[in-house]
This record gives sequence, C-alpha cells and structure tokens, in this order.
Amino acid sequence: MFSRRDFIKQGLIPVFAGSAVPSVFANGLAAAAADSPNATPSDRILVLVQLAGGNDGLNTVIPFADGAYHDARPTLRQDQGVLPLNSELGLHPNLKGLKARFDAGQLAIVQGVGYPSPNLSHFASMSIWETASVNSGIGDGWLGRYLNYLDKVGESPNHALEGVSAGSLVPPELRSSTPVTALQSLKTFRLQPVNEHGTQVDVENPLMKFYGAFKGATPAPFGALLDATLNEALQASHALQATDATYQAKATYPASSPIASSLKLVAETIVSGLGVRVAHVTLGGFDNHAREKPVHDKLLLDLDQALSAFMEDLQGHGLGDRVLVMTWSEFGRRVKENGSAGTDHGTAAPMFLLGAPVKGGLYGEPPSLSALDNGNLKFTTDFRSVYASVLQGYLKAPASDLLGGSYEMLPLLKA
Amino acid sequence: MDDAPIATPPATRSRQIWQRPVSRRTVLATGAAGATAAALAALWKGNDLSQILDRVRDYAHGYQGALSTPRVRAAHLLRRAGFGATSAELDRYAAMTSTMMTESVLNYQQISNAALEAQLATLDLTSEKGPNAGAVQAWWLQRMVQTARPLEEKMTLFWHGLLTSGLDKAGPAQMYTQNQLFRKMALANFDDLLKALSKDPAMMVYLDTETNRRGKPNENYARELMELFTTGIGHYTEEDVRESARAFTGWTLTGGQRLRFTTDSIFNPRYFDSGQKTFMGKTGNFTGDDIVEMLVPLRATAERLSTRLFSFFAYPNPDPEIVRDLADTFQQSHYNVGKVVREIFAMDAFYSPKAYRALIKSPAELAAQTLRATGSDARAYGAAVAASAAMGQVLFYPPNVAGWPAGTAWINSSTLLTRLNFVNGAAQRMRPSPSSSTLDQLTNTLVDGNLSPTTKDGLQAFQAAHSRNQAGLLFMVLSTPEFQLN
Repeated sequence: MFSRRDFIKQGLIPVFAGSAVPSVFANGLAAAAADSPNATPSDRILVLVQLAGGNDGLNTVIPFADGAYHDARPTLRQDQGVLPLNSELGLHPNLKGLKARFDAGQLAIVQGVGYPSPNLSHFASMSIWETASVNSGIGDGWLGRYLNYLDKVGESPNHALEGVSAGSLVPPELRSSTPVTALQSLKTFRLQPVNEHGTQVDVENPLMKFYGAFKGATPAPFGALLDATLNEALQASHALQATDATYQAKATYPASSPIASSLKLVAETIVSGLGVRVAHVTLGGFDNHAREKPVHDKLLLDLDQALSAFMEDLQGHGLGDRVLVMTWSEFGRRVKENGSAGTDHGTAAPMFLLGAPVKGGLYGEPPSLSALDNGNLKFTTDFRSVYASVLQGYLKAPASDLLGGSYEMLPLLKA
Repeated sequence: MDDAPIATPPATRSRQIWQRPVSRRTVLATGAAGATAAALAALWKGNDLSQILDRVRDYAHGYQGALSTPRVRAAHLLRRAGFGATSAELDRYAAMTSTMMTESVLNYQQISNAALEAQLATLDLTSEKGPNAGAVQAWWLQRMVQTARPLEEKMTLFWHGLLTSGLDKAGPAQMYTQNQLFRKMALANFDDLLKALSKDPAMMVYLDTETNRRGKPNENYARELMELFTTGIGHYTEEDVRESARAFTGWTLTGGQRLRFTTDSIFNPRYFDSGQKTFMGKTGNFTGDDIVEMLVPLRATAERLSTRLFSFFAYPNPDPEIVRDLADTFQQSHYNVGKVVREIFAMDAFYSPKAYRALIKSPAELAAQTLRATGSDARAYGAAVAASAAMGQVLFYPPNVAGWPAGTAWINSSTLLTRLNFVNGAAQRMRPSPSSSTLDQLTNTLVDGNLSPTTKDGLQAFQAAHSRNQAGLLFMVLSTPEFQLN
C-alpha cells in the first residue's frame, strides 16, 4: 500500500528536482478529463455548505399552514411568496433555485435534524456536528476520518487537494492526519521567487532544506507540522499551476457574494481535475438575535443564487452526476421570536442535500411547533443518520466504522 | 522508518510537541546513537551522503539552553510581551535582570508614546460614518509596529481575541472605540473591564444588548459573557442565561437609526427590567454590573482567564499548579490582570525550554514583527492588514464570537505560502536599505542566532551566491521555520 505519507516522503525529490507534474497527479487529471459516466464510487465528491451561526430553519422550510408558526413569529413570519412544497410546507421566497431543483427531483430536504440533549452553545454544537461525537465534540472531523479511510484503502489520489476548503482556515470537520488544503485563489497559490536584478531566484529547494532541518532539530516545536505543510503546499501549488488555465465557468456566478466566490473556487478545483473528494465552504451571519428578517432574507438569497450557479456550472462541465451538496448549521433558532425581532439559539433544523445523486423529496418528520422543549423544537432525525446515509449510500464508505455507531439509513440517494 | 518525524503524523497536530507519545523525543534522547541510526536508515533509503550528514548534525544540535543567555531571554520576553525587538532593544534588555525586564515591560505608563501618536494618521470620528474599516485596521497595525509600549498593544490584541466584537456587525468607529477601551484598561481589574465592556457600543451591537429591553430580553450577550468571557461552559444553566439577559437591559445606544456609527451608550431606566431575577441561586433586582460582580469572583472565571493569559504568553495547556497559582493571584488582587501577567513573566515556566518557540506567530504578530525588521512606510500597513487577512486573521473581524482558533490552526498550506510570500514582499520593499546588516546580525536579531546548522549553511550559501541581494537574504531569514514561531 502506498500511503500519503510515503508519497510525501518519496515523491518530493522527483517533484521538486524536475518540477514536472508527478505521475500521480497526471493520473488524477486523466481520470477527471475522461469524465466518464462510469465513474467509480471513489470519484464522488461531497461539497459541504456550512451555514454558520445557527440558521433559522423555521424561516427556511416554512410550516406556513401551521397557526402556531404565525403566532410565534409576529414580525418574522413569511406571509408572502412562500414556495409551497406541499400543502403544509414551503421554501423561503428567496429559495427559487432550490425550489426548481426540488421540482426536478434533485433536492432532498431532511426535516427536524438534531441530536439528543441539544447544546445551545455555538461552539459546543458546532464541534458536535463536526466530529459527530455528541458527548465530547472531541476528535477528528467526521470527513477527516473519511479522508483517512480513503488513504487506508488506497483509493486516495494521494495529495493535499483531496480535501479542500475555501478560505484561509481548514474547518474542523475536515481535520485528521490527512492533509487538507485551504484555498483562497488557485492563481496565487504558489511560492513567489526572490527577485534579483530582473531575474528570479528559486527558493523552494533551500526552504525545503530549512524546514526539513528544523524538523530534525531537538526540540523542534511544530517541526513536523511546518515541514509537512510546506511539502503539501508546494505539491499542491505545482499541481494547480499545471492546470489552472483550463477552467472556464459555465454559469454566471453572482458578483459581490462571498459564498458564490467560494463555490466558484470549489468548482474550479473540481473541474481542473485535481482529485478533490470533499470540499467545504462557509456562509456566515446566521446568528440573528436582532432584526433578523432583512439579514436572513439576504443570506438565503445569496445561498440560493450561489448554489444555482454552482450546480449549473458543474452540469455544464458534465460533472453534475459526481457532486453532492449538503448544507448544515450548528442549530436552528428558538420557535418564538424574541423582543428584538430576532431569534435566540434553538435546536433542530432542516438540512438540504442537492444534486443529481439525490432522490428528491421531503424526509423525516416535521417537528411539532406545540410540543416544545423549553421553547425549542424536539428533533426527529439524528444528524448522524444523514451522515451515515451519505457515507454509506453515496461515498460507499463504512459509515458505522467512521461514525463509531450504527444509525438509521435514510433513502436519500440513488444507488 | 527513515526518520522519526515522519512517524509523527499530523494527527497529533492538536497536541503540543512535548506531549507527543514517543518517536522523535525518544530517538533524540539517545543522541548520537539515534542520529547514527537515523542516518543509516536514510542511507538505506537511498538519500545522498550530504543529506545524511546534515541530518546527523541537526540531530546533535539542540535548542535546549537557548534561554540561558540574557539576549535570548530578552528576545523571548519581547516577542511574547510585544512584537519582537530591534538589535538595540535586545542590547538594552539583555543588560537587565529578569525582574527589571518584566518591570520595564509592565510599567509602560511611564514611557511616552508621543512619537507614535505623532506618526499616526488622524481618524475622523466626528463625521457621519466615521473612518473606514481599512483605516482603523492600518492604524492598529501601525501601533503594533511603532509603539514604545509593546505590552499595551499586546494586551489589546489579547482582549480583542477574548472579548470579541467584529466588523460584521459593529461599525469601524465603534471597533476603534472598543480598541481604545482595551488599551486603556489593558491591565485593569477584570470586573471593571467587563462592566465597561457591557456598555461598550461595539459589544452592544455585536452581541445585541442594544436591543435587549424590558419585556424583550435578548440572550446573546448574557450567554457569551458566561460561556466565553468568564466561567466557561458547565458552570451555569439555561435559566441563568435567561435571567441574566434581563439584568443587562437598560443600556442603549444614542443615535437612533445610526446604530453602527454611534460611539456613545446611555442608561435608559424605561428600558430596564427592574423585576426580580434569580441568578445562580440568588434573587434580586440585579443589574448587569451585579451579574458581572457575581461572575468574576468565581473560581471558574479565575482559572479560565489565567489559563487564557498563560497560554497566550507562555505555552498552551499549562499544568494545574500553574493555573492554581495564577488564579490565586487573580482572586487575591481583586481580579487584577496586571498582577497575573506580572506573575506569568516571573515564572520559571515562562523561560523554560517548554516555552521556547512554543507558540506559532499569529498573522498580526508575523506582520508586525516583519515590518519592525524591514522598516515600513504608510502604505506598508494597509498591505500588511491585507496579508494578515489572507494568513487567517482579519483585525477587528474575528471569525466568530469565540475569536481566532490560533495555535496550529494558523498553519495550513495556504496560510504558510501566504506567510512566505508576505515576508518576501516586505523584504523587497525594505526601507531603509539594510546593506549594512550582516547575516549574523540578521539572524541574531530575528531568530536568536539559534538556527539549525543546515539552515545556517543554507543562508551562507545564499549569501555567497547572491552577495548583493540583501532583500533576498533577509527574506531567507524571515522564511525560516524558526521565524514562524514565537
């Protein structure tokens, strides 16, 4: 078996001596370029969209026929333009793109998702979702464990672009011993040379030596981290420089929308055939304790437009069958709005699964708006059931091993 | 196995190096024997001889004892208590005892900052919308670079990372006003600071106390005050959150619809919920100040703040004895932060091998220390603010109310490339010309003269091959892994 770390160790010398694209990258490119309908399960890509701050689920998938909703939300309720999914529930008026996907059978909505003994702290609850550990919130990220698994079974394309996140930080759910690359721009992802009288002095080799020597010193705080990260960075930048000219977006992404820019960057990385398996983007700003409506309306509009462009772009590149998008948030909001025309921290909320791999429709029980727990919804589907269904049903990975327990499988995905 | 470090997977990234189970330390403890074994293993793997010899030398080299020289102790203190030091500052501090160094750093009120204040651009707070965000960010970064009172700026950065507010909700003038509050109360009593913070406009906007009114409680500030600013999770109930939210009613912002721009708050009795509240087992007509006075004396608060301060200045995850001593000091000094910081700098642990290079420079620290080394002009601060953002830290804009995750989270492939490219750009734009700096001077000032022999050889080789490229040489020093650490 050829593990990533072996690769890093052994692959470096040929990579940087000749600065050619190593064969393993070339294979990744060839596989992606083939873009075959017979893609193996390991070619499947999961894109996570984190709605950070606690998305107001009741104003996302709206129980418009329930009087209790209108009573609880005197100023925040959506009266006009709700996009009905059935006679009881509808999508927020700004989710028109998602509604079209729902109608096309490409959007699964899981209702009332949460976990037992909900934690109302942003950070404790985020950790729970990120690690899939409801007791401690400690450990590798659940998708970091998946990336580890790919390494272990040798299905890994063996480089640092297998897990990517848009932004400057790697999200905890992707963390494990497998490296993950935070991307801000494909074009700037490279080490600048030193200038000397109009010529350029390459500094990769000396820096590699410095970092390797520091790692070997005693003690060398963070030596292994710094050395491995530099190696990953240079490998990834070589791979990116070999491919970044090929991408042309096949959809118009909204301007001035950070979530659209993030998803476009993910699309570029996927289309460039860099071997991405898991990608992560964040849309923040959902912690609306006050004057929620204009903020939340705008966030959902941005989300909808960005996701629509992303899906159209991937389809335009013939990659629609290989990409599943899943949204999550650390919790929903309190059922009853507060006195500031906002909502305080809550519990259960819906999740979206979007894309051609999905069997569209509504899943799970909508939580009752009258039988509450301290003013909060009682969850009806455990988030780990959704994770398990995605891991097993889509990524074809051993869900119970990766989640440390067995959870009900939901038929959210095509075989 | 060819070498131990590869056997240490990044799975242990979240743990400090000294806590890692076996491998490297064990190998290294055996000294030359371990090095030889590693060299033989490397030979077996087909590495060339010069690499093997490098490795033998580097294994034999150690940082232990680096903190026993006065100049390195001074450099360590000035990195932690500030944003690095010039060669002249190192000379001055190296001549002091440890106690004198600590007092010199702590008693900054006696040091005039007039030179800095004269340099700073004037921020217009009186116009309708006040200064823009970029101006306030550059203003703060310039302070970090040019201040004569490094600890004052460092504590301001500490408070910004703990008692967070951000530009995603608050306006630039409000963030500036809060920043000045942190500076003014940098080493004050913690209860006084929290009482002022509860009425601070940026905080009132960021955590919604400006909407928290009688009959319409908003839990946001009350929850984070306990979860993040004082006791931490596990020391209060959801009922405590609800009840204390009522106590923080009454304070509001002047300025009507211009909530993001006003920098004044006032108490309006009509908005205050004067009913009985039951908080942590006590009942009364509590105000926000009363809640602060009940939270700050709690042992959990003392231990949590002590841990945060020690982890910020020395190294993460301090032993319980250290936390106990600092928490005692905090409680016995009427919650005086300056006393706790003084004790941290006086601890043997602060100058222990465990503390040396045990922190990763935050982007702001890296930017400020780099500009201190390269010199800077007005444009450099804006560029450094942008670079800091790309390295993961947007000043005045923490990712969420918990602040920056820091530590190993600063280092990933993207941020590391950005760091290297930033120091490269800064070195190219260096002013004034550093042509007089020798390699020894550069490494002595910037990395304690304490580098792996392989790195020293590499720097000398660069200098020999590019003798007129001083900017390139400075970049090479700033790009070392040692400079990434604090």
